[in-house]
This record gives sequence, C-alpha cells and structure tokens, in this order.
Amino acid sequence: MKRIPKHILTASALCLCVVGLVIYLAIGFTSQRKAEPIYAGPGVTDVKMLSHWFPALAGSNGDTEVYILDSGKPGASMLVLGGTHPNEPSGFISAVTLVEYCQPTSGTLYVIPRANNSAFTCTDPQEAAPTKYYIDTKNGTRWFRFGSRATNPIDQWPDSEVYVHASSGQQLSGSETRNLNRAYPGRADGTFTEKVAYGITQLILAQNISITVDLHEASPEYTTVNAIVAHENALNLAAMTLWEVEEDLSITIEASPTNLHGLTHRELGDYTNTLALLMETANASQGRLHGAIDSELVVTGQDKFYARAATYGAVTVPYTEAGISLSERCARHIACLVQFAEQYDGPDGVISLGAMPTYRQILANGIGYYLSDPQ
Amino acid sequence: MDIELICLMSMLAVFLLANLLLKLPVSVSMILGAVVGALVGGQGIPLRHLFEGTFTYVDTMLIISTAMLFMTVVQESGALDALNAAIVTKFYKVPALMLILLMFVVMFPGMITGSSTAAVLSAGALVAPVLLLIGIPREKAGAILAIGAIMGMAAPPINIPAMLIGGGVDMPYIGFDGPLFLLTIPCAVFAVLFLGLKYCKNMDIEKLKAGLDLEVGKKYGVRLYIPIIVLVVLLVVSKLVPSFPQLGTCLIFLISAVIGLFTGKKFNFWKKSLEAMETTIPVLAKLMGVGMFIQTLTLVGARGWIVVSCLGLGMVFVYIASFTIMPAFGAVSSYGAASVIGVPFLLVIIQNTSCSDIVVAAVLAFSCCLGDLMPPTALAGNYAAQIVELKYSKVLKNCVIPFLVCVAVAVVCILNSNALAFLTK
Repeated sequence: MKRIPKHILTASALCLCVVGLVIYLAIGFTSQRKAEPIYAGPGVTDVKMLSHWFPALAGSNGDTEVYILDSGKPGASMLVLGGTHPNEPSGFISAVTLVEYCQPTSGTLYVIPRANNSAFTCTDPQEAAPTKYYIDTKNGTRWFRFGSRATNPIDQWPDSEVYVHASSGQQLSGSETRNLNRAYPGRADGTFTEKVAYGITQLILAQNISITVDLHEASPEYTTVNAIVAHENALNLAAMTLWEVEEDLSITIEASPTNLHGLTHRELGDYTNTLALLMETANASQGRLHGAIDSELVVTGQDKFYARAATYGAVTVPYTEAGISLSERCARHIACLVQFAEQYDGPDGVISLGAMPTYRQILANGIGYYLSDPQ
Repeated sequence: MDIELICLMSMLAVFLLANLLLKLPVSVSMILGAVVGALVGGQGIPLRHLFEGTFTYVDTMLIISTAMLFMTVVQESGALDALNAAIVTKFYKVPALMLILLMFVVMFPGMITGSSTAAVLSAGALVAPVLLLIGIPREKAGAILAIGAIMGMAAPPINIPAMLIGGGVDMPYIGFDGPLFLLTIPCAVFAVLFLGLKYCKNMDIEKLKAGLDLEVGKKYGVRLYIPIIVLVVLLVVSKLVPSFPQLGTCLIFLISAVIGLFTGKKFNFWKKSLEAMETTIPVLAKLMGVGMFIQTLTLVGARGWIVVSCLGLGMVFVYIASFTIMPAFGAVSSYGAASVIGVPFLLVIIQNTSCSDIVVAAVLAFSCCLGDLMPPTALAGNYAAQIVELKYSKVLKNCVIPFLVCVAVAVVCILNSNALAFLTK
C-alpha cells in the first residue's frame, strides 16, 4: 500500500475546519434538547415526574412529566401515552390537548405526553425530517419538536445487531433496541429504554390504572392503520368504542398478536390489570413513499406521492391530494379516548373526560383551536 | 417532469462526472452529488443533513475498523499460517468437501452477526490464503469470499434485512430459518464449487507444503488459535444466550485482537494497525459519502419518487424490481433497501396475492443481501478484493454467474412460496 505523504500544515488546517464545523453543527443538534412548552390546563391537579414511580430515572433524559387530572370524584383511571414515537405527532399533540383542555368530571386521567422523552432530542438518520413543526392556535403559533422513533443514541448506544426482548426471548432487528414500544414491560436493571418502560409499568401497577391507551401513527401503506389494537381483555371496550364513533369515522379493531412482544397492547395487558389499547392514525410524513418532509407535510398531511400511490392501490387508507391533516388524526385519537372513558364500567367505577371537543368540531376548527396560546 | 426526478438525475450526473471524468474518489463524488442535489431541490447546502447522514454507518464503520485490527493480529501472530497449514494437510484429498467446509467457515460470522463485512473481514481473511494456496486464482478466491460473506449475512439465525422488513409490517422474526436455509445453502455450495473446484482437482501436497509455514503451528501449539476461539465463542454466546452481557461486535473483535497480542509471534502492533487503518479509510469515507447521498435523496423527495414509481408499474414490475432495483439499492445500503423498498414491496405483494408472507419476506431479504455486491459500496466485494489484493471490479466480475444463480433460486422460491410455506412451521 502506497503511504500517503505527510502534509502537516494542510492536515492541521483541515482538522481545524472540521472542529469548527462540528462545533457549529453540535450547537444545532443540542438545541433540540430544548423542550416545547406544555401549559397545564384547568384540569391539571398535579404534575409528577415518572421517577416518582421509578426513582432510578431521576435526573436522566428518561424522566418525563406525568400530568394528573383528578376530577375530585372517585372512579376509574386512564393513562394516555403520547410521544412513544416522537416522529408520530398526532399522538403527542392529542396528549398535549388533553393536558391543556381536558377537565375530567369523574375518575382520574394521567397523561404522559413525552413517553420517550429522549427520542424528542434527535431525528433519525436517512429520514431527513424537520426538527420542528408549527401549529396555529387562536392567537399565535406554537412550535413542537419532530423527533425520532427511538431513544437518542447519546442516552443508549451502541445497539446490538439483534435485539432480544428480555421477558420473551423474541429476536428483533437491532434497530428496535431503542424503541420504547418494544421494551415493555421493561426491566429495572435493563437498558435506558427498558428502564423507561419499567417506570411506566410501575406507574400503572402503583396507581391501579384501569385503561391504558398508547397513541401512535403509521404510514398510510401500513396494514394496521386507522385502527385500535386491543389486548384480549380490552376487546369489548374497543368494540363498544367503535360502535359509538363509527358514525363519524371509519376505524378497525385488531386483537393484539400473542406472538409479538414488547408492545404496550401485549405486555401491559399481560403484566398488569390495565385494559391495554393502542391506536394508529395515518401519517404521510412517516412512511417510505412521501416526498420531501417539512412542517407543512407534518401538519397538512398532503403529499403528492402518497396521493399517486393511492391510485395504484398501494396504500391501505383512503388518501387523496387533500391529505390527512394532523387535526383529523388528532380528532380520531381524541374521539376514541373520550369513548374509551365513557364506555368503561369496571369495578373501580367510571371515568369521564368532561366536555372535550367532538371529532367534527376538531375537524372544523383545527386542533390548534383547543391548544393554549403561546405564552 | 417531477422536480424530485430532476434532483435525482442531477445527483447521479454529478456523481458520475466527478468519479469517472474527474477521477475523484467515490466518497468525494457522492458528497458533491449530494450537495448539488440539495441545491437543485432548493435546500441550499444542508450541513445538518449531510452530517446526520454520515451517522447511518457509524456502527458499521466501527465494526470494520475493529475487524481490521483483529485481522492484522491474526495474520501477524502466525495464527493464520498455522490454520492454513492445518486445513490443507488434513483435507487436500477431498477438495470438494474442503471447499464446501471453507465456504461454511466464511459464512459463519455472517450467520451470527448478520453482517457480510464481519464475515469477510474475519473468516474471509482466514480462508483466503488457503484458497490461494490450493491454486484458486485471486479473482475467483475473492469472489468466493464475497459470495460466502453474503450467503452468511442472509443465512439464519440472524438475517437483519428480514428483521427490518418484518419489523416494518409487525411480522415477528419467526419461521424464517427454513426459507433462508433453502435460499442460501444451495447457492453457497454452487458458488464455491463453480468458482473453485476445477482448480483443486489435482493438488500436489508436497508443492503445497512448500508454500506453507508448518513450523509456526508446532512452535506455539493450540494457543495460537485462542483469539479465533475467543471471537467465535463470544459472538455465539452473546447472540444465543440472552442473559449474557451484550458486548457488541466491535468490542468482541477488540477483545480477541488484544488476546492475540500474547498468543503468538511478537510484532509492532502500532505500526501494523496503522497500516491496516490506512487501507480501510477509503471504504469508511465511501460509507460516509453514501450516508450523505441517501439522506439528500430523502430530503429532496427523490426516495419517495423512486419507490412510488416502482409501485406504479404494476405487480409484474414489483416482482422484477424485487430482484433488480432492490439489490441495486444495495449500492447505497442493503439495510436501507430492506427498510425503504422491502417493506412497501412486501405490503403490496401480500395485499395483492395469496403468497406465503414469511417466504416472500425471506426472499426479499435475501435479495437485499445481494446488494452488498453492488458498486460503489459493495462492502463484501470491496473487502474480499482487499484481502486478495485486487481491484474490486475484478472480483465482482467473477461474482456475476453465482449472483444470477442466486437470483434464479430466489425467483423460483417467490413463485412457489405457497408450496414452500411448510418450511416456515
């Protein structure tokens, strides 16, 4: 092999340029750690950190706010997980809407808007996603982070080539090692992501949560989309909800597969007494078929390639050039959440989310109408 | 004409111009292509995206670097010479069996790690001198290593493209072993016999012995093999025993390399490792360039244009693209091919046909693995060529017929997926 001749001055100058560039870029990357404001609404009675239920998370990027909306009337409880995957904005924005708008009238609502707080601090290589998107409220514009599907590698790295789910031994691609929704029920002495999952499981056990709903999105070509995935114990609740919402929206119910492990709808149903459900809406900024992603695509859901793919029969949901807006996706989540609460009638009583906007109202006014103005 | 297509054409044109006409390195040409694509797409010079794109391959680059150190230690300590002497003197009477066993040795690290790079840089480096000693030409030996590494990457128990495709449609990684064995073992056996058998039918053992170092094995004994044994044991245990700490492939290569410093001939580790890294830096740079290129493809929407255009051409084209465009996408990344093209293709196939979904997913994953032969990245071909000290184009030419046989086997399997569904039980 021919040795490269030494040019110390050139090499030094290049190294200095690289160092400067890295510092400049690092400032940009670390700016994504600044969290978007979430304003506690009139229904919020307490805000605790997840480390309250699993102290080992304290001080880490895995610790995250748990908003408690106690109606003051005894009853059942519901936990809503947003931001399990911060590249699926409708789950996060629906959870934020609950925090800022909801006033339960019976029972207690727990909301974790940023279930995987760490994953909000980075984006996925190769996806070329925006770092932020913007939503107009009644009197201003709010910004929110578009994050990654997985925990930031700064918090957990390197990934093994194969991820072995601890309690089942199931093997998945190593890229799932940092996926919170493959880590349940979690481990107290596991990886960073498994610890976050463990903290959420401990919360459910300690508070004896009646219903847990994990809010997600999927690409429009995915088979499980516009769907409720329910643990076998929660199938009745899902069916009653479907009955109530089907006048406004088309949605399917799928039973949680018994051989797919690590997901909320399987493990939380198996390891706790909660009725575990997961919801999926169609997000055009998430799949493989979209064009360039920017805040516009995230919010409007309009993408010409998905519209074209729909004409080829390559997507599984009705999709036109009008797109599927973030407001419509949040409206689906919120309409079903309201009904999950209304339809529940367990031994621990009932829960009601109070006067939440309907599916049609959110479509008409936009989801920003129900968020607080920027302060 | 879609702006995304114009961006794609600009990126490819600039890449080809820079690489073929200006003779710039592949890595630099890809960076230039990415920058021009972003400018045409109205994104300016997207420093954040160029930088973020390189992170796609950080883990791969660390594996390559540590595997190179391991390879250097095994070569310089004398373990390689001793192993070659042992294999040749024991198996020279049954060349076909010897070749098949050597092929399985090349495949083994790929089967355990799911990485053709790990296979070619560890077992490939051990087997290459044996292949050369028994008279197989360098370009054929390189092709055997490259195909063997890819078959190892595709073979069970670990096939990462299959996991990625399955993960994209919530299909558990269960039932893949049978179809993947059916796809890989016949192809591997064919490739090694086709490329090597005619050169080792009339081996002269005395002549071979003259080219072997028979003394180093006698002098150091079994301890020479300790780093190789440690590597195999740690790779197997960390993958198959969930309770064992996940050391990661990089650390396993490093541990094995450090042990190798004390088990054989002494040498200047610093000097030799610098030499090894000098040879590998161009490939690492190429990976970074590819990372920037693919991130820019996504940024300007050209990735979506490619996938939707393929889907728009109908089911027959989806099948054809599964064995042409999907491996070709491996020029960028075989894992990327699985995630970007494999998932929508699988969804379209299972929604429009009554094929066995696991067999189809296994075939698509196999097709993605073949992408590790595609230039300019051609990870398996690149490192196989480096090991046999040739330009990789010469090695790749000899991979053409085995590649076509692999494609033919894959086509037969996908067309008969229902008949093969029993393999998934």
